[in-house]
Amino acid sequence: MKQAALHRELSAFCETAYAEFGSALEMVAAAKSTQSPKLCYGYFMHAKDEYNHAAIFLDILARRSKPFLGHNIRQYRFSPGGLYRKGYISPHGFLIESLPHKNFVSFVYTNELLAKKSFENLLKLVGGPESVDGLLISQIMQDELRHHGHAKEHFLSHYSRKELSVCQFRDTLANKFRRLYDANLKILDRIFAPLYSLIASGAVFILIAIKLTDYQRNNKNLFDISPSSVL
Amino acid sequence: MYLGISAYNHESAAAIVSNNGILLDFSREETLSRVKCDRSFPKRSINKLLRDCHCTFDDISKVIFYERPLSSYLHPLVVAAKHFPASRALIANQLRNFTLSSTRVYSDVLSLDSRLQGKLIYCDHHLAHTLNALTYSAKQSNVCSIVVDGFGDRSTASISLIHSPSDVLELWCLQYPCSLGLFYTAITDYLGFAVNEGEYKVMGLAAYGNFSESYSKLFNQLLFWNDSLKTVCCDLKFFNYHISPLISYSELLADSLGPSRNHFETLDPSSAEFQRYADIAFAAQSTLENVLVSIFEYAYSLCQTNHFVFSGGVAMNSASLRRLASLPFVDSIVVPPSPGDAGSSIGAAMYGFIRASLPSAHSSLSLVTPSLFPTRSDQSHQHDALSLLLERHFYRLADDLESSLLLLSRLIREDHIIGIVYGDSETGPRALGHRSLICNGQSHTAVQRLNSLIKKRSLFRPTAPAMKHETAQSHYVLHQELMPVYSSMSATALANSDFAKSLPTTHVDQTARLQIVENGSLLDKILDNLRLYNISIIANSSLNLSGDPTCGDLVDGLMVCARSPLRYLLTDFGLYQKRAD
Repeated sequence: MKQAALHRELSAFCETAYAEFGSALEMVAAAKSTQSPKLCYGYFMHAKDEYNHAAIFLDILARRSKPFLGHNIRQYRFSPGGLYRKGYISPHGFLIESLPHKNFVSFVYTNELLAKKSFENLLKLVGGPESVDGLLISQIMQDELRHHGHAKEHFLSHYSRKELSVCQFRDTLANKFRRLYDANLKILDRIFAPLYSLIASGAVFILIAIKLTDYQRNNKNLFDISPSSVL
Repeated sequence: MYLGISAYNHESAAAIVSNNGILLDFSREETLSRVKCDRSFPKRSINKLLRDCHCTFDDISKVIFYERPLSSYLHPLVVAAKHFPASRALIANQLRNFTLSSTRVYSDVLSLDSRLQGKLIYCDHHLAHTLNALTYSAKQSNVCSIVVDGFGDRSTASISLIHSPSDVLELWCLQYPCSLGLFYTAITDYLGFAVNEGEYKVMGLAAYGNFSESYSKLFNQLLFWNDSLKTVCCDLKFFNYHISPLISYSELLADSLGPSRNHFETLDPSSAEFQRYADIAFAAQSTLENVLVSIFEYAYSLCQTNHFVFSGGVAMNSASLRRLASLPFVDSIVVPPSPGDAGSSIGAAMYGFIRASLPSAHSSLSLVTPSLFPTRSDQSHQHDALSLLLERHFYRLADDLESSLLLLSRLIREDHIIGIVYGDSETGPRALGHRSLICNGQSHTAVQRLNSLIKKRSLFRPTAPAMKHETAQSHYVLHQELMPVYSSMSATALANSDFAKSLPTTHVDQTARLQIVENGSLLDKILDNLRLYNISIIANSSLNLSGDPTCGDLVDGLMVCARSPLRYLLTDFGLYQKRAD
């Protein structure tokens, strides 16, 4: 397999691990936010599954990355901070903190189904459902379907079927927009990267002129420095 | 009240100090977000502090940020500009990420509540570290503060003489980009460990290493103390951290040391490359210690005091403390339990308190030493919500502490591993018994199970032992200069009895990062009960799974049980046993 294809494959596993880990954190936050023992139980078990999925994808990623040299695969190192950078969780708060309960449940309902569909592509990458990794991914797909079913059941116990359809339509659309936005970001990145590089070249002249030595602290009582100074 | 904040760089945290200088509460953002080394603005932590301390933003007199944001932002840029065009990517990255840097602290603070308008002040980064360390020191005047980290807001290391908590005279500093912390981080990166996270693994790996003439010669070129200039020098040709946002070591370093490690590759002591990596780690550790010794010697010549407080990320290098404590002029070294950036939020909050006390309390001011468990924690609401989960998946073996401890000691004797989520929690990064995984520290089987089955740790990494003072005295070479440090598991000690040398918690170099438990603490009570079974040492590790932050609450603790073979959990509500699946 060509290097580019191998990298695409590693990237897919890495991104999926991030997505699953992000979902696990969302569910842990949900379990902590509710006072309902039943909901807490459901969110907790869901989080456990998502953690497990993330671990499986990280394991697949590790096995498939071993033949590479260290510096070639730095970008596939799982770093929890990447959850924010890549947008899998928001620095402004978890979904449970920002969405009304109804929207949170419908979000889970729709996105679990969409996740299951996206795993079908991963199945192709690992050589189908009969391969060792394929079996694991098939099991994950079953889990996602189960979560989807639980979310549906919970939603319908509080709201109507019609509302569920409306929410599903809205969340599917939002998901498509997120993908479109992400794809556009990548295009914009290609456009803006040289621009930032150009700005960096220009900024050098200003930066070289900045004299930070004026702000040295040698032989000063540090309490004499103004507390409002940002320099 | 004074709210100290650290954020945007390594580990975000917030601390709240009362109007009479007492640390009321402290919270790491990672504990609440469950994102390890979370560096986002600690909004959750701040809300938690206010909630648990029963106060509002009206009660906050000042919000103190732990660094000067513009200085922190500009210094790397100005240095990078001197290395242009090689540094083009780093400059572009810094410019692009302006809104993610600490320069946004003002807007983030205001977004919390408009009542905080006009309350935000800034503290020098190394002063925040110094005050954090000083808070834990019994002696608070005529003390030398040494801060060594990666990079703060202007320097990477500093020496200050503390005349009093409000009179801190900076006498020497090391300018970025020369940095002991970033040197060690670059080697961490080269060895395939996560930057700003895996440095302790390099320290653990170093114990397996042997002296290598070639590595030693090379590393002494990379970073050394220049006695005529009275400063640290480093050869930047071997590093990239000052010019690249992606990689912290240069190709020249990789050419000199050989291929860097693939981080997905398991580091197995029996593998062919292991010894090369260990020898490199050994050389890095020796170089770091040599330079630290020189800094301490210079600090003594400047301050003429025998009492030191040591903080900054590099102070987490527990292996170096033994050598520093052996220096003839050292009478005491105090390292705060959380010497890194998270802990400096405590120092920042203290800065607010001290400033407010000036000038009336200029000489009489003293800081109250906080508890080792300053993070308030009330799990009762969670316990109710978790009732169904507990009912379906756990048995409650005992519901009060006394009977729980009796059962627990029997379980420990039988080589079981126990998770603990009990009472208020530690500042981290070390778990000291309230958010811990413990087992019989004298049983190889139990410690191996803890490491391999639950923590899934690399084979070369040691586990820390916790014990009473008399046990430590009988079996380890304790340094009187480090006595307060042992209670927070911040220094290693050499085993000096056959018993200690044979323990599974003793590292390959015959040392252990021991914890001397406080009288009356939970671990102390557990050790009292274990006397019956002749167990005087327990292995103590943080309650988390690999890659996760230490548990904060009951949900996190139960999640560790759910995701791992851990079967027992001691909580405020009794001792639980996981049901068989």
